[in-house]
Amino acid sequence: MRRHTVVTRTELRRGLAALRRALGPAWRLLPFLLVVLAFASNALLAQYQRQPPDFGGTYTFPVPTHPEPRSGVALGIDVGVLAAGLGLGAYLIHKRRSRNAVVLLSIAVIAYFGFYRRGCTCAIGSIQNVTLALVDPRYLISFGVIAFFFLPLIAALLFGRVFCGAVCPHGAVQDLVLLREKKVPVKLDRILKWLPYAYLALAVFFAGWGLPRAAADGTALVARRFLLCEWDPFIGLFRVSGSFHMLAIGAGFIVLGMFYGRPYCRWLCPYGALLSLCSRVAWKNVTITPDKELSCGLCAESCPYDAIHDFQADRATCVACARCYDSCPRHLKVHGGGPVAVTLYRQKPPNAGVS
Amino acid sequence: MERYTRTKVVVGPGMPGEFRRSLSGLAVGPRDAVHALGDDEVRVFEAGGRLARTWKAPEKATCLGVASDGRAAVGSPGRVDLYNDAGVRISGFAAGTRDKPAEVTAVRLVRDEVLVADAAARIIRRYGLRGNELGVIGAANKTGGFMLPNRSLDFDVDAFAVVYATDTGRHQVTSWTLDGTMVAAFGRFGMARPEDFVGCCNPVNVAVAPDGSIVTAEKVAARVKVFGKDRSLLAVIGPEHFDPMCLYIHVAVDSTGRIVTADPERRTIAVFGRS
Amino acid sequence: MSETPTRRQFIDRTIRVIGLTALGGTAALLARRTSAHAVFQVDPLKCTACDLCRTSCVLSLSAVKAVNDFSKCGYCRLCPAYMDVTSAPDEVGTPSGKVCPQDALKRRVVGREDPDDPNNNYYEYAVDEARCNGCGKCVKACKPPMGNGSLRLEIRYDRCVECNECGILIACPSTAIVRVLTPGLSPVSVQGEHSNA
Repeated sequence: MRRHTVVTRTELRRGLAALRRALGPAWRLLPFLLVVLAFASNALLAQYQRQPPDFGGTYTFPVPTHPEPRSGVALGIDVGVLAAGLGLGAYLIHKRRSRNAVVLLSIAVIAYFGFYRRGCTCAIGSIQNVTLALVDPRYLISFGVIAFFFLPLIAALLFGRVFCGAVCPHGAVQDLVLLREKKVPVKLDRILKWLPYAYLALAVFFAGWGLPRAAADGTALVARRFLLCEWDPFIGLFRVSGSFHMLAIGAGFIVLGMFYGRPYCRWLCPYGALLSLCSRVAWKNVTITPDKELSCGLCAESCPYDAIHDFQADRATCVACARCYDSCPRHLKVHGGGPVAVTLYRQKPPNAGVS
Repeated sequence: MERYTRTKVVVGPGMPGEFRRSLSGLAVGPRDAVHALGDDEVRVFEAGGRLARTWKAPEKATCLGVASDGRAAVGSPGRVDLYNDAGVRISGFAAGTRDKPAEVTAVRLVRDEVLVADAAARIIRRYGLRGNELGVIGAANKTGGFMLPNRSLDFDVDAFAVVYATDTGRHQVTSWTLDGTMVAAFGRFGMARPEDFVGCCNPVNVAVAPDGSIVTAEKVAARVKVFGKDRSLLAVIGPEHFDPMCLYIHVAVDSTGRIVTADPERRTIAVFGRS
Repeated sequence: MSETPTRRQFIDRTIRVIGLTALGGTAALLARRTSAHAVFQVDPLKCTACDLCRTSCVLSLSAVKAVNDFSKCGYCRLCPAYMDVTSAPDEVGTPSGKVCPQDALKRRVVGREDPDDPNNNYYEYAVDEARCNGCGKCVKACKPPMGNGSLRLEIRYDRCVECNECGILIACPSTAIVRVLTPGLSPVSVQGEHSNA
């Protein structure tokens, strides 16, 4: 990488700072200057630019308007909201154990990351950017995208899939439309559980390498594609516009999600595959002390994602929706959340004889 | 309709004196020597085709005019430089006003005057040899000047000091006396008939032949047309000889009526004769 | 819960620490090569105005609009981007057909107006962005030698949703959509070429 540099990083930063001071508020217009400069050197008008004629009268040339893109500060705010959401989510889900809080958080993230930010930037898509950045040293990844990829994974190593429960707008949409959950047959579930990994592999392949496609004139078109962006089910909903196939897939997942509990998250989401790997070794996850549990089975029944069976919980599958907390009679008794919650550990209760 | 065929290529890619970067001016001087402005130089090709003389022109020079005695004038943005017949610079002066320098797109030497086409002010300015202003041509119409959407004004002067100027926005060639009186205008817009001028701004260049016929050059339909003294269409030198991307085909006529053209895209100067 | 960690807990803790280190390390590695946030823009030198900007944007009304560079525009009465110069002329000789299918290119007389002869007027041409769908017909018609090349297609950031992967970039046959860096929060480290994702 160093070999590609013409100037050192410090020199570049100082130079940019000086340029920024010199240009003042016009700094924001730099991308347009680049376009205008490129245009001005149009080889077809090889003679130098001629003065415009004097039209007579009082005509003055209008100042062209160039709307500014979203500033980098706005991306920083997104990262801040993400971090706050993760922290708040970890607290509200694991400490306060409140299902109501999760619902409110879901609505809030659908509003912010969903409709306001129209789904972009998202952690799921960031897999592709990170892959591309690791594969191609020329690709300059944005700082915010790095944060979107790593923060939820770090949070998962600490608190489980709080990203899924508290921050992801896709998950929030599915969680809120869930009417009555049907259980999926175990054998089918076992097969479907591998789909996220397959999709992850496909997404990584296309983001990093891709399959070259030939253009009409024989030159190769862009080979790398961001499959996750092209086939995202809920982006069409958030943008309130999209191609037929995207809107159809979104509608399909919503209808499915009314009966089967977060189908995208459980059986397709590639980022969920990564999160589930981290969640398995999480530091603090939903906790219910096994010696206090009543063997009533209410938590298992309330979990729409089949994350609790045989009073053992599947850490990888739990998406931290807090329904189990809400349904636990001990939790209901101990109002405000005592040390009673569901443990998502693949661990037999101590009274089964394991030390 | 007459037919013209290409009789000679004076200079082109790969030939001695070839122009590598630009070809922006053309004039026919005494003894039918072809003067061409390009690559920041003026090159003089004798009638036989040999490169006789070269002299340096100012950078960004845009046009060239040569008198019958060999004196030359070279126009650049905002100024005109005068040279003697050996190519030595004699003098120069600023054209246009100080807050609006002239966009010089054509220049001619007429007796002891220098006529300069100013595309920014949309008129032709008359100067004495020392740069003293003598008057303007082309302002006496309803628009206070020529209509120039393509930002270039070209003109030529015949033996009777009548100025023929391209009014590209009106698709006309207009003629004026030196004191600024309009004499005549011919030409119209049309996409179908060959005698009409196509597109939004044509004809882009004009030259007057010694017998009074007018030679025009157009863009889009890259062709050169010859109109007789009664302004009927005599000949079309078709697009096959010119680059379709040419914005300005320079034209000049030598003493025998042969048409000399310069193609800035292909950087080729060719001569066409009546066959 | 017992005080000494079970083997399971020990394994978990180890993997957790390794995981945190790996994630943190990779993040730091990538952070050395970050750029400011990049946006997409059309390179006017490569654009061929092929109409794919209209159909490939994820938005129903494309974020790509035609923009007129007034310093280059000829202000012609017979603008080839405004009117179809080959169409039948009306009573004053002006071609009557319009190029823009959305009627998004508007014009008005500027400068010294001649009330008697429309031949004598200059016109200012501007794009109505609410109507323009980025098809590029006007851009194609304005290209030299017919026009001055003042009209170009441009991604307008008040409409662009700044997708991670620009749909138009994938579809563009002349690789005319490029990523342009905007100044932002992160330090610019390596100034290499930026590849199109």
